[in-house]
Amino acid sequence: MNHQNEEKEYILSVLAQNHTGVLLRISGLFSRRCYNIKSIVAAQTEDVNRSQILIVVQGDDRIVRQVDKQLNKLIEVEQVTVLNDHEAVVREHLLLKVMRSDETSNQLMAIANVFHANVLNVSADDMIVELTGTPSTLNSFIECYKPYHILKSLRTGTMAMEK
Amino acid sequence: MKLTGAQIIMECLLEQQVDTVFGYPGGAVLNIYDALYEYKDRIRHICTAHEQGASHAADGYARSSGRTGVCIATSGPGATNLVTGIATAYMDSIPMVAITGNVNLNLLGLDSFQEVDITGVTMPVTKHNFIVKKIEYLADTIRQAFRIAQEGRKGPVLVDVPKDITAQMYEFIPATQSLNEEQQAAMQLPISKKPVQLQASKLEYALELIANSKRPFIYAGGGVLAAEASAQLKKLVEKIDAPVACSLMCQGGFDQADDRYMGMLGMHGTKTSAQALKNCDLFLAVGTRFSDRIICNAKSFARHCPVIQIDIDPAEFNKNIDVTLKLCGDANEILSILNARLHQDDHAQWLAQIRQWKQEYPLVQKSIDSQDITPQMLFQTLNELTQSEAILTTDVGQHQMWAAQFYQFRHPRQFITSGGLGTMGFGLGAAMGAKLANPDKKVINITGDGSFHMNCNELSTLAKYQIPIVELVLDNSVLGMVRQWQKLFYEYRFSHTDQDKKTDFVKLGEAFGVKSFDIRSKDDVMPVLKQAFSLNEPVLVACHINRDFNVLPMVPAGASAEEPILEM
Repeated sequence: MNHQNEEKEYILSVLAQNHTGVLLRISGLFSRRCYNIKSIVAAQTEDVNRSQILIVVQGDDRIVRQVDKQLNKLIEVEQVTVLNDHEAVVREHLLLKVMRSDETSNQLMAIANVFHANVLNVSADDMIVELTGTPSTLNSFIECYKPYHILKSLRTGTMAMEK
Repeated sequence: MKLTGAQIIMECLLEQQVDTVFGYPGGAVLNIYDALYEYKDRIRHICTAHEQGASHAADGYARSSGRTGVCIATSGPGATNLVTGIATAYMDSIPMVAITGNVNLNLLGLDSFQEVDITGVTMPVTKHNFIVKKIEYLADTIRQAFRIAQEGRKGPVLVDVPKDITAQMYEFIPATQSLNEEQQAAMQLPISKKPVQLQASKLEYALELIANSKRPFIYAGGGVLAAEASAQLKKLVEKIDAPVACSLMCQGGFDQADDRYMGMLGMHGTKTSAQALKNCDLFLAVGTRFSDRIICNAKSFARHCPVIQIDIDPAEFNKNIDVTLKLCGDANEILSILNARLHQDDHAQWLAQIRQWKQEYPLVQKSIDSQDITPQMLFQTLNELTQSEAILTTDVGQHQMWAAQFYQFRHPRQFITSGGLGTMGFGLGAAMGAKLANPDKKVINITGDGSFHMNCNELSTLAKYQIPIVELVLDNSVLGMVRQWQKLFYEYRFSHTDQDKKTDFVKLGEAFGVKSFDIRSKDDVMPVLKQAFSLNEPVLVACHINRDFNVLPMVPAGASAEEPILEM
C-alpha cells in the first residue's frame, strides 16, 4: 500500500458566509459523499458576516483532496485550507467530571497540576476540571483520570490556526 | 417604482429574458399567479397536470435551447413534487430556476398547512438554494439564482418565497440601474469559481501527449453541449484525425454521420468503441465526469494509456478514475486553445482499423419472430421521415438506449434524456418544454409502456395547449431493461417486470383529447408514423413490440468496458 492511501486525520479550516444553514450544507456534503467527520467546530469570526468552521476528517490523501474541492463548490464557502500539524497551532478544550473522595483528592490534584489543568468545581463526591491542549495531551490526561472513575467528559473538537 | 414581491419576481424573470414558465397554482403562490395574470402578454405560463411535469418541462426547455428553464410550484406537496425534476437536472448539470411559495413568515417552522422545509429537502439536489425572508433581498436573490444556475458547471437553483413576501411592496430597481453600494454589499456572494487559467506547462504536456500518440481516442461527454463546444470538438477530431465516441449525454455533440464516429462507449456502447478503448494509446476525454456507466470497472478503465481529462469542475478530476493530465475549464475555451496549437495529424492506419471494426461489429437487432417490428427498424423509419433532424426526448429504459443507438443525431441539443438520474417519466414533460423552445422543430418523445404510465397525465397538457409533439410508446408490456437484468443475473425470475397492464393506449390518448394510433404490424410502421408527423397537433402512437428484445451490446456490472457481450 502506498503511503498516499494511508488513513489519517486531516484538519480543514473552512471560511464561509455566516448564513443560516451554512453548517447544514457543509455537514450534509460530508454525509452525502460518505466522508467521516471526527469533529467539527463552528463559530462566527471577528467579521460578523463570516463563520470559521474547523473540521477533522478521517481519510486518505485522495479523500481530502475531494473534500477540499467539493467544499469549494458550495456557493457560501469562501476558502478551504487543509492545515498541517507543523504549520498550525492545534488545540482542543476538555471539561471532565471525575469521582473524588478524601483519599483520592490529593492524587487527582497532583495529576491536574502536572497537566496545568484548572479545577473549576469541587463537591463532596466529584470534581470538574478543564484542560486545553493538543488532542493527544487531552487523551493522556483522560487516561490518567480513568482509574478514578470518570463521570462525564466533554471535548470541543479540534481548533487550529495557521502560524 | 413600488411593486409587490410577486411583481418583482415577474420583472426579474423578464430581465433574464424568460418567455415561458411551467408551473401549477396553489395557496402559497396565489400572489405570484395573480402577477402571472397581469404579465400574461409577456410571460407565457404553461400549467401542467402535475408539478413534476413542470420541472421536467423546464428541464427540456433548458436542454433543447441552452437557456435557463423556470418552474413554479406552491408550498408543501407542490414543492416536493418538483424534487425529482430538480434532481434530474442536477445530475445532468442543467440550468434551472425553481420558484416555490411557502407559508407566511410567522407560520414558518410551526408545521403549518402545506408547509415543507423545501430548502432543506432540496439541499443535496440543487447547486444552491435560497429562502427569501426579506422583501429587500428578493430581486437580487432571483438574479443570483439565474447567475448560479448558468455559471461554471450549470445546475438547478431553488428560490423559496414565503407568501407574505410576495404581497409586500418594495421599491424595484431594474438591474440596468446600478444598485447603491449598501444594497450591493448586502447581496454580494463571492462566486470566485472561475475556470482555472490553462497553465503553459499543462498545454505543452497535452500537445506532447497528443503528438506522441499513434492511436488516439477522443471521448466526448455532456460538457461539450453545456459549453457549446461542438464546432471546436469537430475541429479537434479533424486535426488529430482520431475516432470519437460520445456518451449518452453528448449524443449529437458530434455529427454521427461522420466516418470517425464510433457510437457510444460504456455499458451500452458499441463493440467498436470497446475495441478502440482496448487498443488506443491515448484517451482524450472532453467535458465528462467519467460516470460509472462509462467506466464500468474503475480498476480496468484506460489503465494502459495516458488519459487527458478536460472538465469545468475540478472536483471531477481523480474522483472516479485517476487521470494523467487534468485541464480545468470551459470545454470550448480549452479546445480552442488546443486547436490553435495542434498540427494536422494523420492516423489513416488507425482509422482504417476502426472502420474494419465498424464493419465487423455493426449494431444490428435480429428479429425474434419474422413478423417482429424491431426497434432498429422503427428508428430507421424515424430517421427517414425526419431526415435525422428531429428532437428526440426519451424516458428511461430499453427504448432510451435504442433511441441513442439507432437514431442518427447530427446536431447538439437534439437528444434530450435523463442520463445521470435515469428518471422514468421524464420524457413527456421534457418534450413539451423542448417543443415550446423550438416551435419549428419536430419533437418526438420516445417512451416505453412502463415510463409512459408514470407521467401520462401530461397528455392532458399537450391537448389543452395543442403542443404538437409525437408521443411514441414502445409497448412490450414489460419493464424491459430491468427484465433484461433479471435474465442475465436472476435466472429469468421476472419479479414484477412482466406488467401486462390492460391499458388501451389509443383509448387513453383519445380520452385526453390526443389523436392516437396503433402500430401492430411491420406494414403499419411507415404509414402510421407518416400520418402522425403530418398532423400539426399532439399525437400518440403505440407500437407493440416483442418483449424479448434486449439492449446489446452490454457490459455486465463489474466487467471491463473493453468486453461488452454481444448476445444473450
